[in-house]
Amino acid sequence: MLTKASPPVHCCLLAPMISFVRLLGQYTIEFVSETGKIFLFLFAVAANAVRPPYRLHNLLKQIHFIGVRSLFVIILTAVFAGMVLALQGYYTLTRFGAEGLLGPAVALSIIRELGPVLSGLMVTGRAGSALAAELGIMRIREQIDALEVMGIAPLQFLVAPRIMAGLVVLPILTVIFDVIGILGGYLIAVQLLKMSSGVYFSGIESTVVMRDIVTGLIKAVSFGLIVTWICTFKGYYAKRGAEGVSQATTSAVVLSSVLILICDYFITSVLL
Amino acid sequence: MSPVIDPDLQQANQDAEPLPIGERLVRNACISRAQMEEALAFRARQQDDHKGALIGKTLIDMGYITHPALLDCLFHQLTRERVAYHLDRQAETIIRFTGVEKTLDGRKVLDHLDLEIPANKITAIIGISGGGKSVTLKHMVGLMKPDRGEVWVGDQPLGQLSTRELNRVRRRFSMLFQEGALFDSMNVLDNVAFPLRETTSLAESEIRRRVETCLQEVNLGGMGHKYPDELSGGMRKRAALARALVTQPEIILLDEPTAGLDPIIENAIHYLICDTFMRTRYTIVCISHAVPAIFDWCHHVIVLHRGRVLASGPSLEIRYSADPTIKQFISGDLDGPIQVI
Repeated sequence: MLTKASPPVHCCLLAPMISFVRLLGQYTIEFVSETGKIFLFLFAVAANAVRPPYRLHNLLKQIHFIGVRSLFVIILTAVFAGMVLALQGYYTLTRFGAEGLLGPAVALSIIRELGPVLSGLMVTGRAGSALAAELGIMRIREQIDALEVMGIAPLQFLVAPRIMAGLVVLPILTVIFDVIGILGGYLIAVQLLKMSSGVYFSGIESTVVMRDIVTGLIKAVSFGLIVTWICTFKGYYAKRGAEGVSQATTSAVVLSSVLILICDYFITSVLL
Repeated sequence: MSPVIDPDLQQANQDAEPLPIGERLVRNACISRAQMEEALAFRARQQDDHKGALIGKTLIDMGYITHPALLDCLFHQLTRERVAYHLDRQAETIIRFTGVEKTLDGRKVLDHLDLEIPANKITAIIGISGGGKSVTLKHMVGLMKPDRGEVWVGDQPLGQLSTRELNRVRRRFSMLFQEGALFDSMNVLDNVAFPLRETTSLAESEIRRRVETCLQEVNLGGMGHKYPDELSGGMRKRAALARALVTQPEIILLDEPTAGLDPIIENAIHYLICDTFMRTRYTIVCISHAVPAIFDWCHHVIVLHRGRVLASGPSLEIRYSADPTIKQFISGDLDGPIQVI
């Protein structure tokens, strides 16, 4: 009777390794190609943005959409972020007998870190997802092709105003976040915890320097670029119908949020 | 020795001579010359805003002809022209594909495609779904670039043009997309005015005048304030057609203008295309699945199959082709060289 020969042991080990290496290679190629595409997209948008005609109306419309319409969520987030920071900070600082430093602690945390990061994340959630979905729908409904047929560059008409609006709006939203956040902290510190209002504000005045504010603003500009760049890229190249648009929107929000946090670390380590 | 002239061809050419619509209606005895002159005089007496009104509309308003009769007259004229084209086949080529190849997602969609589109004629591109029709149309206007081969518009090779030159060539085109591609955030009036506002320096009053005229031409007069989601499928297509006409292009590309519409609206769109052609004499290229109806509405037909041209010629010739694949496509039989099940 003939028995089927079992495959050699090295064959059994080699097959999964080969498929693992193949998969790794495939993901690496996809990652490099996607990264290259994202940067080429940004260069193309920059080249289109400096070329006439300049459509100020489009830019103002996007500033309104990304900025003004995000104001409510920014104010709400800022108030509660400042309040919780004051509450937590007070109980921590009390242990060291340093509750007088609550004002500077709240202000520095918000100005250097929480202001730009939370503003970036809130704008990603509110406006970034909408940008990706809007462009994605325009892509699958052939409206972007229609623009091209009319001889209108879609990157110039649709994408450049959105990215420029992000660059302008996020620093402004961050400043608003900072002010409201500090006032939120004031509410808790002075009204609830009965700290002296003079101690709260004089500590801020003597501790916060221009460098802190500039660091926060540099972060805000960077996050404004990241949110609008990634979200417009994902929407612009959306494909495969409604499912493709939903995938593009999800990956735009996830990638923007992750990049904001990664970029925040690197900017902080460089500017600290 | 003088050339021998085919009397049928001579008569067909005389019948098919392109004339202004009013003159054509008189020649075809749809209205009297006195009625046409009266309509012209009436139009001339109107205020500035109404001077641009179409002669056909003026004749309808004056009760000299009904709208269906006017369209019918234009259809008969198109039929005469189709016969003349079938007999003499004289037409300049405006778009030419030479050895165009395109692969999408690993599938060869266009396989060494050679085709020619005659100028100032209505050309229909037909074929089974997935045969490369929409991809062909997108190549004509440079929305897609061939992997190999070249697309020529007039004497300009699209693949060798700079972005600026390509945009200049694109301004010779208008395209009606399958779903209309109207901008959702704008009403119909703004949608139609959009290409004029963005690409010309015309005054707003002139833009509005042109838009109103175009909307009247597609029977959407007074509907300018509506948004695309408030329109039916047929109205959306007509609004998109108005946007395609407003820039007064040389070439109009229509990607399945009657897809998803009921037979009456489909017929109305065909009449509209015929009416547009008679008034403007633009080159019209139309992808259509409305077989066999489309043969009555175009001069030239190109059958695409598996990324290649299976047949190309006057509609009358293709309609009665002996090719089994074309016969099967026209009849819709499941049995034949095209196996779908």
